[in-house]
Amino acid sequence: MTGASLGAGGAAAEDRVAQRLHDARAMFGRSLHIRTVDTGSCAVCESEIRLLLAPHYDLHRLGLFFTPAPRHADMLMVTGPAVRAMDTALQKTYAAMPEPKIVIAVGACPLGGVYPEDELAHGSLDRVLPVDVFVPGCPPSPLALLQGLLVAVGRLSEKVSGESFVGSSPGGLDL
Amino acid sequence: MSDIGARETTPGDQGKAGLGVTQFTLEGRCREREDLVAELARAPGTRLADFFGDVEEGGLVLRLVYAIESGERAYKMLDWPVVGGTYPSVSDLDPAAFVEECEIYEQFGVRPEGDELLNRLVVPPHAGHEFPRLGAAPPREGREPHAPHYVTGEAFEFPFGPVRAVAQESLYMGLVTSGEEVIDLYLLMWHKHRGLERRLRGMSLGKALFLVERAEGLSAVANSWAFCRAAENVLGVVAPEAVERARAIALELERVYNHAAAVAALCQATGLSVGQAQAEIALEELLRVNLAAFGHRYLFGTVAIGTMGRPLDEEVLSRQLPQAYGELRRVIESLWSTNSFMDRLEACGIVTNEQARRLGLVGPVARAAGCDMDTRRDHAFGAYTGSVVNVAVRERGDVLARMQVMAAEAEESVRLIRELARVGPPGDGRADGAGFAAPGQETAAGRGGSALGWCESPRGESLAWLSLDPAGKVRRARLRPGTFRNWRAFDDAARSRNVFTDIPIIEASFWLTVAGFAR
Amino acid sequence: MALWLFRGLRKGVVTTRYPAVTDPWARGLPTPPAFDERLLSRALADRLVEICPSRALAREDDCLVLDVGACTACGRCISQSAGAARPSRLFELAATGREQLLKRIAIGSGEIVA
Repeated sequence: MTGASLGAGGAAAEDRVAQRLHDARAMFGRSLHIRTVDTGSCAVCESEIRLLLAPHYDLHRLGLFFTPAPRHADMLMVTGPAVRAMDTALQKTYAAMPEPKIVIAVGACPLGGVYPEDELAHGSLDRVLPVDVFVPGCPPSPLALLQGLLVAVGRLSEKVSGESFVGSSPGGLDL
Repeated sequence: MSDIGARETTPGDQGKAGLGVTQFTLEGRCREREDLVAELARAPGTRLADFFGDVEEGGLVLRLVYAIESGERAYKMLDWPVVGGTYPSVSDLDPAAFVEECEIYEQFGVRPEGDELLNRLVVPPHAGHEFPRLGAAPPREGREPHAPHYVTGEAFEFPFGPVRAVAQESLYMGLVTSGEEVIDLYLLMWHKHRGLERRLRGMSLGKALFLVERAEGLSAVANSWAFCRAAENVLGVVAPEAVERARAIALELERVYNHAAAVAALCQATGLSVGQAQAEIALEELLRVNLAAFGHRYLFGTVAIGTMGRPLDEEVLSRQLPQAYGELRRVIESLWSTNSFMDRLEACGIVTNEQARRLGLVGPVARAAGCDMDTRRDHAFGAYTGSVVNVAVRERGDVLARMQVMAAEAEESVRLIRELARVGPPGDGRADGAGFAAPGQETAAGRGGSALGWCESPRGESLAWLSLDPAGKVRRARLRPGTFRNWRAFDDAARSRNVFTDIPIIEASFWLTVAGFAR
Repeated sequence: MALWLFRGLRKGVVTTRYPAVTDPWARGLPTPPAFDERLLSRALADRLVEICPSRALAREDDCLVLDVGACTACGRCISQSAGAARPSRLFELAATGREQLLKRIAIGSGEIVA
């Protein structure tokens, strides 16, 4: 069970995450720069992330930008199951980012859905980096990514904890 | 072949020849290099399509998959048991086999006689002897790929990667440059290795299919179709005609959106943001067509064993596709008359016909270099047996030729979809999920067997060889996406008198994935 | 360049108004399952756990635990559940804690009691 890895630290760790998120939001206000790292994805999450910049989603209108330099980045967006061969590159990128920083795990791979933990991959990103926002999906659609980004900067509140995934008439989309 | 063991034919193959389905036959076991040479000389239209290792009870067996491109047009496989740590070199006969020889060395620890210079492919440098591989570790790891030129004086090496531009796959490029001209380039591709073929061992077919799709998400349909064809052949399952048609429609949709994405990437690489935005509009609309027609933007889960994993809504498809594709066609037409764009493409990143043949390239990269090949036509399968597939071929082998091939292919794909949709009633709309779970347990029990499946991905011929054990679990699955073949020409294309800023253009025109290579 | 300008003007604005308005096409996105607990039995739950390729389902005594994070919305459980699972049609699944994505579903009798 992937949830098991969360046990360490418990409430204290959660408070720390909440505090960091709060600091980050206070600092960034409404604008933020994102750096992406691929740790062994199948290339489809990358395709969806690239489309965030396309006219249909136009991330810039929300004050969110991608940056080619980790030193300019406020947020690290990670795809893939955290393969061990990418450890050094991932940690270096993370270390090069100035504080405060947010990590966002994109897709089922970094959330432990596709590869188990073994000699080749950590199987789940939260085993190697403190993850602030999780975006499920295989792949998460650009809209799901947008929601994840807006949750990360505090402009939307997360919805999923209020959903039970139970019942004969689940909430579903309000369209 | 003379004194070689008994010939076997895989179950499920018999009796299909009459239907115009290309056969896959196991030709027998080769003991001597002379056998191999004789076999190669016998059929001049023969192309080495794949070469891989497999640990059997009796020891390591190397398997050579040949595509016979003239006459009988079949795929044939030669088995080559390895005795001791070496085998007669295959790349001496066919240089295309070099990358596979490196792979076999890395994964099984055996090397061709006399060849000490094998490169590292996907096993990372920090990996030790105990690193998970398909077979035994080699006595010494392959050497690091590096620039063969002595870098001094005017030239320097520019390291780029593995973390690159926004949402690009992890890949390390070593660029040797004098500041502008690219003198040499080499790639390190081990960052994304997930050991997929090893993971597939012992899996049920349903779960294996799930991973096969995720080997290279941008070719999910092609790779999983090849895998399912292999599985169906072993199990003796015949997919209904409507299913075969729906699969072909999914495959063509995959091709169209990939080529749209390549066009968008080409615009980005040439700095034409307005063209990029327009191409991305087309790409997004094509992905939404995929979603509306099959229920997944990247068509994951559409192909299942003997059935469809996701139902096809043909009515929605025929309503929405013309508009989305019209978007792409208009962008491409505008690009043809944009000089600043065309100037960057012409004579950039040339792959010659000789290189394409020598390196065994496939797909649009090979077709743009004058190789007239397409498995949909040459080894027609599924719904393609009844269709005429017009194959686009260009001669120049540069980026422009590749884009022309892609544009023509997208056009042809849309025509094929229209034709396939017209043939008969809509494909069976039910997705009963049976293909994910059932056949593996029922049909394969107590039987086992092996077969090859093939498909034409947007990046070229995709092969999957599958061997099931009597319990119906995967004993060995070999995946060879088109991507795996085409990366080997990337450095040649980059070296062909290009400047630094041409590299992203060449990469976009190849439109390969690292995921599919490193698996 | 005039050509591109003309094309752009003709196409108009295509940008989504999300989060103010959710695009209608998003209705078709693959989503994790939602369960009708009344139709879930232990045996069915075990079967669904067995066929899930992404280890998103687990059974803990009388609970089926759905890990929305690991779920790839592949639809295998939905097709094999005889109505006990169907698409939740929820795609806004971003979470600020991993445990928010773990959903415990009580297993019922396996049939609807009138």
